[in-house]
Amino acid sequence: MPRKRLSEFRAKTIVHHALTMPYMGWSIDAEDDIDRQLQTVQSDAERFVVKVDQGIKGRFKKGLVLLNVAPQGLGDAVRRLADKGYRWCLVEPMAAHAQAEERYLAISHTRDGLFLTANRNGGIDVEGNAHTMTSTRLGETTDWASIVAQTGFNEHSLRQLMQVYNDNHCTLLEINPYYMHWKGPRLLDLAMEVDDTAEQLVAGWSEDDFRSTTVKALTAEERAVMQLAAKSPASFTLEVMNPDGAVFLLLSGGGASIVVADEVYNRGYGAVLANYGEYSGNPNQQETYLYARAVLSLLLRSTAPQKVLFIGGAVANFTDISSTFGGIIQALNEVAGELRRQAVKVYVRRGGPRQEAGLAMIGKVLDEHGLLGAVHDPSTPLTTAVDEALQKVTL
Amino acid sequence: MIHELRSQSAKIICLGVHPGIIQSVLDYDYLCGREAPSIVAIIAHGRKQERFFWGEREVALPVHASLSEIDESTRHAITAILNVLSARRVLESSLEALTLLPNLMLLDIFAEGVPEQHALQLARAAKSQKVIIVGPASVGVLLPGTMKLGAIGGTQAPQIEKAKISAAGDTAVISTSGGMVNEIIHTVTANGLGVSMAVALGGERFPTLTPAEAFLLAEADTKTRRIVYFGELGGADEYDIAQLIAQKKITKDVIAYIAGTVAELFETPPQFGHAGAMANTQQETASAKKEILRSVNVAVVDTFGELAALVVRIAKEHPFVPGLQARTIGARYRRPIASHVSGDVAGDVQLLGNDLLMTVESHSVASLTLSMLLGEPVHHKKLVDFTDYVLRLLVDHGPYVSGAVNTIVAARAGKDLVSSLAAGLLTIGPRFGGAINEAAACWLRGTTEQQLAPEFVESFTSKGGIIPGIGHKKYRIEQPDPRVMALLQFASNSNEDRYTKFALSVQAVTTAKKGNLILNVDGAIAAVLLDLLESELGYTKQQLESLVQAEFFNALFVISRSIGFTAHFIDQRRHDEGLFRLGANDVAYLG
Repeated sequence: MPRKRLSEFRAKTIVHHALTMPYMGWSIDAEDDIDRQLQTVQSDAERFVVKVDQGIKGRFKKGLVLLNVAPQGLGDAVRRLADKGYRWCLVEPMAAHAQAEERYLAISHTRDGLFLTANRNGGIDVEGNAHTMTSTRLGETTDWASIVAQTGFNEHSLRQLMQVYNDNHCTLLEINPYYMHWKGPRLLDLAMEVDDTAEQLVAGWSEDDFRSTTVKALTAEERAVMQLAAKSPASFTLEVMNPDGAVFLLLSGGGASIVVADEVYNRGYGAVLANYGEYSGNPNQQETYLYARAVLSLLLRSTAPQKVLFIGGAVANFTDISSTFGGIIQALNEVAGELRRQAVKVYVRRGGPRQEAGLAMIGKVLDEHGLLGAVHDPSTPLTTAVDEALQKVTL
Repeated sequence: MIHELRSQSAKIICLGVHPGIIQSVLDYDYLCGREAPSIVAIIAHGRKQERFFWGEREVALPVHASLSEIDESTRHAITAILNVLSARRVLESSLEALTLLPNLMLLDIFAEGVPEQHALQLARAAKSQKVIIVGPASVGVLLPGTMKLGAIGGTQAPQIEKAKISAAGDTAVISTSGGMVNEIIHTVTANGLGVSMAVALGGERFPTLTPAEAFLLAEADTKTRRIVYFGELGGADEYDIAQLIAQKKITKDVIAYIAGTVAELFETPPQFGHAGAMANTQQETASAKKEILRSVNVAVVDTFGELAALVVRIAKEHPFVPGLQARTIGARYRRPIASHVSGDVAGDVQLLGNDLLMTVESHSVASLTLSMLLGEPVHHKKLVDFTDYVLRLLVDHGPYVSGAVNTIVAARAGKDLVSSLAAGLLTIGPRFGGAINEAAACWLRGTTEQQLAPEFVESFTSKGGIIPGIGHKKYRIEQPDPRVMALLQFASNSNEDRYTKFALSVQAVTTAKKGNLILNVDGAIAAVLLDLLESELGYTKQQLESLVQAEFFNALFVISRSIGFTAHFIDQRRHDEGLFRLGANDVAYLG
């Protein structure tokens, strides 16, 4: 998925390098030996900042930034944050400054080009200062002098930031806050979001620098689907929303999957929606099998009393219905007995290449296993078929 | 723009090979009753043609390594590009197409995962060159009755046959989702309306053709009466559309479905299936977008049942008559081998497109040989005369040459005709008889790259100094090879003998170094034949290059010399002298 946040550690390394400033910061992985990693913290500083480095917004207000940590307290500080469910931390020397000095600067882009947004009043409450926020388009006609006056950065540094933004295929570069020191800008918190499709084109970052904002541990099924997606030219996503939900989705197509999930939500079944996800790009039979197996495994674990599985999507352009359903059937066959014991009903609605064969095949299998809710071809509107499945679930 | 595309027969080049999609385009063309496929060429590496079905029959689409290899008149005729290359090759290949195809109107990009910066660069190029670029991550553009550019509408013939999309209706379908564009086409046609145009914009953050721009295309399209739109959360495109409607720049009826209300369930919503499907502000949520569209009287539907009902209601007033499908497609069988030379038609053997006997009777041996080697009937007198002369000239060069020696040795060992002939033929290679082809490659390269003879010769000096087609043991510049003199009689062709002139200019440089480095028979045949093929048959550089790759120039030697080898075999058999063996004095033992 295209826009991803880099770790603050990586982002700061990139920006400091571009501004030819030294960067003092240590990235700590709480799942590894914390004390051993902290031995690499070589600094004369008497006090440190320890903060969660997982691309989370509003960290300060969420208590994910620990200030004034003594060198001997670093290990405990990291462990305190790790106990909240986080894995990555950033350790930096404290930079003494007054809160009134804190400024805000960001670069982003739209179809019309790069924009620099700045505010003399930055910091954790910057949203409250929207009226003093200014936005300038960066280009040939930019009035650099006024941005220099506004931000405190010199023109060369600002151009360097623009360069960093373009070279790294950034989609957002936000420095909030920073303050001006006689030696130059001091960048306290920095966020960089990049276009992950450009990984092969950039030198500054790689996939390893992406940080997920999620606190909860991924289920084995979600991890399995991520691995499947990484190895296949087709695409797969799976996200558990309610492990004990009643409505399970096994969908194909980016657009259709939202339509189906919307319908569940719009009809008031949002609270019992168990998962969101989809496969697309004509995966082969084996891949569809693995994906279906992950969804079925989640379904069987759910404690909801009456569960339904909705399989389907729109009228495909090039995804082979017969072949992809072949994989789904293989997965259904494996757990058919257990599905029947749990009284699961399966509803299908799908169209596309070789739909007749695919639909007939899955209808027959579901019927034989006593799992058949209904099987529809495209003559039944997608959302109508979803409604039918929802009837089976009592709220 | 849509009108312009509709007013002419679609001519498409496909960048990259996606067999399923290409076949579906040909099936659509065939079912619509087109006389020939809309895809005229494929750009890819590794092959010279790809076979597809045209109805039940197989046809070959030419494959070129690059767009620049395609001749100018074909390039001028191209109106659309289907780019199915991988994400990393999209930008460069698309920009090249814009440069090389002056009448290009529409370009569709299939790949997902094209970097945003590249998509934005393409959007700027599209504007400045006035080309509609759709995608990335687009399953295509459909103009019923005119063209199917991509997978849109389906990839299986039965699916396309049933889709009622072979004639234009009055409803435009615009969708950010590829799956949903087909779903909506189906909903529209199954419930009594027809599609005027359908565009899958691709669910990326910055679609090159924006929803608002697509709306303006539909507004300007005379066939379109109403627009059905599928949008998703994320981005602000619906605000642009609402503004266009408010400003009366869009006056046609609009029906819309905006997906993504489910995002309200999440504190931090996930990235949904499409890159663009992520709401960063309240304004970008599905609910807010539905609201703004409703405020300008767009019929926003909440379910697809509602959409179907709406279509049924409209169809009562404006029924669509899909018309009869022009053709149907029956059973197909993919042949393991394809041939342009000969094959059975209704049980009779055809040669070069005509009955075997008729072809044979209308050709001399030389013209038949040349025609079969080139894969097309050739009757040009000068070319045939030259071929005839070459076939006679190369027939034998005495029993001393290595090929003849091997034939004779095998014959005397008691081997049969075919084995002895094969012994001789297997001797043909880089040092014996194989130089005509290499000489042709040299003259072709030197001439078309406009090299100067001295630098051309220099380029060989560094590689050991042997230039194919140059040099003779006996003959010298002062004592020319009479066979070469005879071959050069066939010069004075309409291409001003550019290959022969180049070969002679090379000879001028080499003979200045050494008297026997003259143009030899191989070099002369290659040069004159290139001139004749270019002048008489109008062959292009690419066609000549592909002849070199196919070893056409050596084929003349192989065919002619087979007669000589056969003669030596029969001669040996007639006067049988028993097994040949070298004597002790014939081998210098250096052990």
